Amino acid sequence: MFADIMKYKELLYFLVHKEVRIRYRNSFFGFFWTLLEPLGLMVIYTIVFSLILNVDDSAKGQNIDHYFLYVLSGLIPWTFFNNSMKKGTKALSGSSSLIKKVYFPREIFPVTMLLSNLVNFIPAFALVIAVALIVGQPIYWDQLALLPAFILLQSVFILGLAFLVSVLNVFYRDVEFITNLLLRGWMYLCPIIYPISFVTESNNAMIQQFEWLYFLNPMAVIISLYHGILYQGQTAPLEYVGYSIGITLLVFIIGWVVFKRLNRRVGEVI
Amino acid sequence: MTMEAIVVNNLTKHFRKAYDKTLKGYFISLIKREKRYKEFTALNDVSFSIKKGESFAIIGKNGAGKSTLFKTLSGIIYPDSGDIQINGKVAPLIELGAGLSRDLTGAENIRLNCAIFGLDKERIEEVYPKIVEFSELEEFIHTPVKFYSSGMKARLGFSIAIHIDADIILIDEVLAVGDKDFKKKCYAKMEELRDSGKTLVIVSHSLKPLRKICDRALILERGKVVEIGEINEMIDKYQDEKKEKKAKKNKKGA
Repeated sequence: MFADIMKYKELLYFLVHKEVRIRYRNSFFGFFWTLLEPLGLMVIYTIVFSLILNVDDSAKGQNIDHYFLYVLSGLIPWTFFNNSMKKGTKALSGSSSLIKKVYFPREIFPVTMLLSNLVNFIPAFALVIAVALIVGQPIYWDQLALLPAFILLQSVFILGLAFLVSVLNVFYRDVEFITNLLLRGWMYLCPIIYPISFVTESNNAMIQQFEWLYFLNPMAVIISLYHGILYQGQTAPLEYVGYSIGITLLVFIIGWVVFKRLNRRVGEVI
Repeated sequence: MTMEAIVVNNLTKHFRKAYDKTLKGYFISLIKREKRYKEFTALNDVSFSIKKGESFAIIGKNGAGKSTLFKTLSGIIYPDSGDIQINGKVAPLIELGAGLSRDLTGAENIRLNCAIFGLDKERIEEVYPKIVEFSELEEFIHTPVKFYSSGMKARLGFSIAIHIDADIILIDEVLAVGDKDFKKKCYAKMEELRDSGKTLVIVSHSLKPLRKICDRALILERGKVVEIGEINEMIDKYQDEKKEKKAKKNKKGA
């Protein structure tokens, strides 16, 4: 797979470049939307959950300073995931004109989608660090040093799922709608608007009982890794990190195998 | 080094006509226990081989399987059975404006298509001016392709396909459009390519120019090979058959 993609690196570069440029074409703020979108969401969530629902106050006991920063630091990796999945479902079905006319390795499309989203994600995450420095939130540098590894883990997870949904969506357009719906619910199953300690240090017997279930969701673990850069005690237990790495590899392999199998009929169905 | 550019053995392709392309449709037909698809044989046991440097024509009526054959040759569609051996790089020119992206400008499309065919950056910069010159689109090269006329798209598509260093060029119906001068230029270029040792495979409805360019032809009917032979012979045969059928029809009508 990688040998194939290296052979087409010129094409990959071109497609990523085009994707990034087209995304914000005809918009006044252009590339700044990468930052404006999560900032806008941050304001909304902070108003709703901190001022109206008071998650903020109960989070104080769990040592969450600057609730808005906590929201932002989870929201940006989530937005990366969310946008990638939405684009991922259309990675093949949206390029039908190319796929129908010429042949080249079709795995280029999900990879292009991932890379172009990564281009947006990295400056957005730099914004989190900048905000943390401005408001004086301590930064755990040893965790920050692991940031590339966190991004890699998330990218592999995204790519595996993107292989799966992109090719399935060619056969059944329903996949697009199912994915959008699942993403809504999925977000609330990740520690974004509430600290992870709500789950790990809860007094509620039922939450304690189902803690392991919560961490079966690799995105919850991945988001918690990003939180760990700014907040101590907000990282998922280590055994779940190990589990998430395993499940990510499994998702990637399944996605790849399904993609390769169904790819054979993509040319006639699309 | 092999002498054959393309060898096709017992190629068969069935298409499934999906009744309903949604999960809902899938489950409904599952419950109703009806067949979920209708099968349609587009190519039936097709075998032929094309020598290096040869110009080969594929003739047949609409729906005879020419386009399917082209798509399998270029790798867009996988055959159900049989095998295809291709020695060399293929430039498919399927339908008009093949592989052009509507939202990109002509210039961007040239770069994109060159990259698709694996040309590196330096090589792209080298052929770019040649492509623009041949297409005669200098004025509109920075205009998005969606504003191009069909003739302009065909010109751009053809210009790209002949400049990407391919050994085998597949041309499908593209020359039906474009003005007379450009058509002439295309045919001249095709002859030049043939003389320089490239392999050409052409599907066309206008049979007349094929006599000049091609060496051999294959007649395809309902997915089956009727005959393969020398170009003039095949075209005559094909036209005779057509006339015969027409005559029969007229008789019936009378």
